[in-house]
Amino acid sequence: MRIGDIAAGRAGDKGDVLDLTLVAYDDAHYAKLCRLVTPEEAARAMNRVAPGPVVRYELPKLRALKFVAPQALPGGVHASLRAGLHWQKAAIWLLLDYEVNGD
Amino acid sequence: MARTSNSGKGSFTVGAGAGFAGDRIEPAVEMARSGEVDAIALECLAERTLVNAIRTREANPNAGYDPRLRRRFTPLLPHVGPRCRVVTNLGAAHPLAAAHATAALARELGRGDLRIAAVVGDDVRDRVQDVQWTQTCDDGEWIGAHVYLGLDPMLAALDEGADVVITGRVADSSLVAAAPVQALGLADASLASALTIGHLLECSGQLTGGNLTEPGVADLAGDALTYIGYPIADIGAHGSTATIRLLPNRSGRLNVVSCTLQLLYEVHDPAAYVTPDAVLDFTDVAFEQVAQNRVVVSGMRASARPERLKVIGFLARRGLIADIELAYSGTGALGRAQLAADVLRTRLPRELGVADFIVDLVGVNSVLGAGALPLRCEPPELRVHVSAQCADADLAQAVEDEVYALTISGPAGGGSVRSERRGRVESITGFLPRDAVKPRIEWARAS
Repeated sequence: MRIGDIAAGRAGDKGDVLDLTLVAYDDAHYAKLCRLVTPEEAARAMNRVAPGPVVRYELPKLRALKFVAPQALPGGVHASLRAGLHWQKAAIWLLLDYEVNGD
Repeated sequence: MARTSNSGKGSFTVGAGAGFAGDRIEPAVEMARSGEVDAIALECLAERTLVNAIRTREANPNAGYDPRLRRRFTPLLPHVGPRCRVVTNLGAAHPLAAAHATAALARELGRGDLRIAAVVGDDVRDRVQDVQWTQTCDDGEWIGAHVYLGLDPMLAALDEGADVVITGRVADSSLVAAAPVQALGLADASLASALTIGHLLECSGQLTGGNLTEPGVADLAGDALTYIGYPIADIGAHGSTATIRLLPNRSGRLNVVSCTLQLLYEVHDPAAYVTPDAVLDFTDVAFEQVAQNRVVVSGMRASARPERLKVIGFLARRGLIADIELAYSGTGALGRAQLAADVLRTRLPRELGVADFIVDLVGVNSVLGAGALPLRCEPPELRVHVSAQCADADLAQAVEDEVYALTISGPAGGGSVRSERRGRVESITGFLPRDAVKPRIEWARAS
């Protein structure tokens, strides 16, 4: 299953830290997100590009999951070798387009 | 002094007129003209823009504020006054110079009556040795350091009758919250709502349908996207709830999902979002869609303000990044671009000794790298991109020259070269004790 089929998302960054948010539309989809998008699974998706560990925060009232990768952007915006500035705005697609097993 | 709502309606309406330095001009003007908005916050300062401002001030002691000041304020100031105040961080690295420039512009516009205050004291460059940095900073040169100020100096300026408050580095949430907190006399626990609303509004259109895609729902398009409305919030007199909405003539997509995404945007621990004025807890926040593009927010909570303030320091490392692109198009463009990339991967290290670089294809994998979706068909046009870490400008020029050489000695039809260079400025986080920071207000010259 593609994560973006059951969730909306957004990427943010502060210094070296990349943060990704997923929001589900109802409690059932939120439960599914919690079950399928474990911190380990999110790290697999994110580590293709952004290194380091991933911490997950659960927000059941908001039906949201927060993924924080503290070492993902070494040196911050100005140190990146990616084309142009602020590639990390697109980093949410690392999760939204990720396929996880299960339903 | 006692504070009362400007609006006299038991609530206070604040609008987000800009969410970054280059943001659109007309949303704030429209808010000011509407008569519905008691104050407008213009958030115009990020790490990147502050670095630029510091560099500008180094070259000219009377500069160092957002160079868009005239463009932004010329259509806005005629509609500003005690009934629609403006709080903005476009002062960047030199808020006092920005206040003087704003006062001069106001006189030109026949608004010499405006009271314009600058908040100074965030610049702590001369005290970098006192800052408790979160990482080692022994390699490089400090070009600036700014502490994130909180509400207090902005409240003082508003208390003293400022129509326009111009700051440098202050917390974005506090920037937006300042006018409602001052007008409603919020304190302690009731600060939570204004600060949370401040956090929600600070990125303007990102709350109202910008940067948003939802599964199974068509994305905003046409005029609804082109003329997306920026958010305004009615904050209740007791600070327990707030309503976020758009001006009546504006469209957008303001819903529970857009609000949830923005609530958690650039937040790390959602139970402890640290601002200079309180530590916010977002875990009980609830959004309720009460009408189209109208959402009620409740459940904002906060605990006491932290005893140390965050500092952002900018450390210039040696060297620079050369970022260059070369385009291929027509039949076989992908294969020719891949050949060009291979040539660069061989020649940059072998001929120039460049060790730290990436070569990829714009249109294929230049943004998400190994995380990009697989190529499904051959693009009709694409660009080879190379970024290289260079010790000096000579090496950056040599890298650019290697790319240009491909236009005559590389695969057929390479062209449309673009090239940029950027300094390696790293942002470093640190902390100062609150009592070591002494912000103050200065008023723009009357003449």
